[in-house]
Amino acid sequence: MAIAVTQEPIAEEDNLRASWYSLLARLLAAPADESLLAVLRGLDGDDSELGAALRALKGAATTASARAIEQEYFDLFIGVGQSELVPYGSYYLTGFLHEKPLARLRDDMALLGIARSEGVPESEDHIAALCDMMAGLIIGSFGEPVELSAQRKFFDDHIGCWAPRFFENLEASPSTVFYMPVGTVGRLFMAVESQAFEMAA
Amino acid sequence: MSKKKEVVSVGRRDFFRKAGLGAGAVGAAAVGLSAEQGKAETTKPASNSAGYRETAHVKKYYELSRF
Repeated sequence: MAIAVTQEPIAEEDNLRASWYSLLARLLAAPADESLLAVLRGLDGDDSELGAALRALKGAATTASARAIEQEYFDLFIGVGQSELVPYGSYYLTGFLHEKPLARLRDDMALLGIARSEGVPESEDHIAALCDMMAGLIIGSFGEPVELSAQRKFFDDHIGCWAPRFFENLEASPSTVFYMPVGTVGRLFMAVESQAFEMAA
Repeated sequence: MSKKKEVVSVGRRDFFRKAGLGAGAVGAAAVGLSAEQGKAETTKPASNSAGYRETAHVKKYYELSRF
């Protein structure tokens, strides 16, 4: 039976996961603007490691100015000549942009019915795009929410194989103040996701 | 929900709670996050388009793709 008669509501934890992915996507797609900073200042973490990282992020959002954050984002991801980090999967996996990992991602996106929004020129393997896609797969932005096993496959094939290293590098980057806790949050959340997928298998 | 799925779901929910995913904060914050900024959309009837954003980040992409 391929056709579900009633759609199951999205589980609470899945809505939360999607929120974390959306948060990471928003943090990494562009420098944080005032509206995002206001959201971050309202965050509150519990006493877990992830909670502590969230509080650090809140602190950074409270002290940093949008202008300073923009400069930091530029130095990290754009740079004059060379940025500190290149936030694309293909680059992390092969040392070059637009290599096979991007082609494989595009194939999988086609199967899942996902396409880049018109006018978004950065390639699909950008970390923010991938986080966006995971959120969409979980809550069903691209049709029906996809099964956990399909979420896991997408994660393993396109995110888990490089994003943890990217977040580690972000966390360790010498010029980061605001983005350091972003790296921590990302690294910890990736670990939680990997472990949770293991559990469900 | 099938029995097996339910067991998995309960285990995961518990795990995520202990990992600090709950906290309520991010869920609530997501209300302010969900809009705009989307880079991906469904290939089925598109609801909205993010439009062209000439961010510095976009320029980098072109810069890098030249070599």
